[in-house]
Amino acid sequence: MKIGAIAGITFKEAKRDRILYLLFFFAALGIGGARVLAILTVGDRVKIIKDVGLASISLFGVLMAILIGTGLVYKEIDKKTIFTLLSKPLHRAEFILGKFLGLVLTLFVMTLFMSLIFLAIVFAHTLKIEGTLLVAVGYIFLELVLVTAVAILFSSFSTPILSSLFALAFYLIGHLSWGLELILKKMAPGAGKTLVRFLYTVLPDLENFNFRTEVVHGLPIPPGIYLSSFLYGVCYTAFILGLAVLVFRRRDFI
Amino acid sequence: MAKTSSAKKSSTTLLLVVFLMAAAAAFMALKAATDRVSREKLPGSSIIYIPSGKFLKYATFGYRAVAADAIYLWAIQYYSTPTIDDRFDHLDHIFAIINELDPRYQDPYEVGALIAVQEARNPAAAFSILDRGAANNPDQWVYPFNAGHVALMTLKDYPLAEKYFEQCMKIPGAPEFVERLRANAIFKKGDLRTSWETWLEIYKKAPDERTKKIASNHLYNVKATIDAAAVDDAAAKYRERFGRPPSDLETLFRTGFLREVPKDMDGQDYLYDPATGKVKTVTSPWRR
Repeated sequence: MKIGAIAGITFKEAKRDRILYLLFFFAALGIGGARVLAILTVGDRVKIIKDVGLASISLFGVLMAILIGTGLVYKEIDKKTIFTLLSKPLHRAEFILGKFLGLVLTLFVMTLFMSLIFLAIVFAHTLKIEGTLLVAVGYIFLELVLVTAVAILFSSFSTPILSSLFALAFYLIGHLSWGLELILKKMAPGAGKTLVRFLYTVLPDLENFNFRTEVVHGLPIPPGIYLSSFLYGVCYTAFILGLAVLVFRRRDFI
Repeated sequence: MAKTSSAKKSSTTLLLVVFLMAAAAAFMALKAATDRVSREKLPGSSIIYIPSGKFLKYATFGYRAVAADAIYLWAIQYYSTPTIDDRFDHLDHIFAIINELDPRYQDPYEVGALIAVQEARNPAAAFSILDRGAANNPDQWVYPFNAGHVALMTLKDYPLAEKYFEQCMKIPGAPEFVERLRANAIFKKGDLRTSWETWLEIYKKAPDERTKKIASNHLYNVKATIDAAAVDDAAAKYRERFGRPPSDLETLFRTGFLREVPKDMDGQDYLYDPATGKVKTVTSPWRR
């Protein structure tokens, strides 16, 4: 109940944030701009529209999660409203979870609107609703949920600028960590390989949520990967949130 | 009261740590499970979207050479990973990007061409890479030389090899043996007259005895080939008229099919085989 109340307030607060609308405007511009880019191509225009559209939803969604998420907890501390909140019978874990869910709700609404624009543009070209595109969007949203948790984790102990940098680094690492697998195959057994294997296992693999290529090219997606990727996202998010609660519990505001 | 609160806090922390460990174990296991599911890939899908170097260089914010280094390093890893079946599909495109970003970076031209010939079995891509190297580095003889070598040894396209070796010879600093490779390509092309003239020129201006000897051996070989062709031709005409092969070269001379009994460059008689109607030299041209 308390979590719901904080989530509601966070959602209302995020709604008032101008940066959200600015990013939404650019996202819409990106999705719409795909139509212009498609004119420049020779061949399949719809492919360009789908690629650029999905990339815009992903990129601007991540920027929303990072730029709003990194300020959420810090703002409460900076404006000293945290004292009022924590003086109430409210667990710090509830506060963190409330903030997280509030932003997730905001991102859900934003992703929904971006997807509607995207699907409308695709529909205008193909005259059919492509349900498979929603699979890609769904997993983009799951990625945004994880990035939101990361942004809140950093926000619980650092300034918004640093938190943004850390969260952005997390995002980049998440999309590049597959390269470690390549290195692993070339390394001789030993301590170095064990270390790289550990890093490969622990670092986030955001490519698990990337079904954009398969969806755009109509490639078959193995059914098993839907569940394992979804559960991977949920568990990683739970881990990050647990870490955020642990850090936030140890903070002293006096 | 404070003691109870502290104990409660400790147990909650412990619970949180246990939760964290469980979550970490779960996502690690799930990562392994997800990795086990093989996802279908488009041929060359991992690199198909890398834009042309012409456009990419504007996105490097002045760090073109570093970008070229990074892509080259990545390319070496990529092309030495045999599990990527379609890795050679865009080989020329990838090396074109590196060449465009850093046109004076020499290694990618040579290594790219080597991968194209030896691994991808795609001489066309090798020529494309080496031609780019020659165009971007007109002072470097190594690119037309390598292209000539590929044409001569791999493709067996002797006119093309001759063209590349000729291009190489015009570049200052090109080694003198390139002229010999060109003469050899002309010989293999079947242009025996030009081959003879080229080897003769090499013989005349040979800077040392070793080169003179090499040229002499080739001249010996060219002459033997010309004579063998003449004997072949005469023997065929003889067979046509008499219905049997000539018994020796003297017969061909006596019946007027040969203007003279040919001798090799050292003045020795050729060995004639009446069964096949063909001649060969007494000694190997390379063991004189």
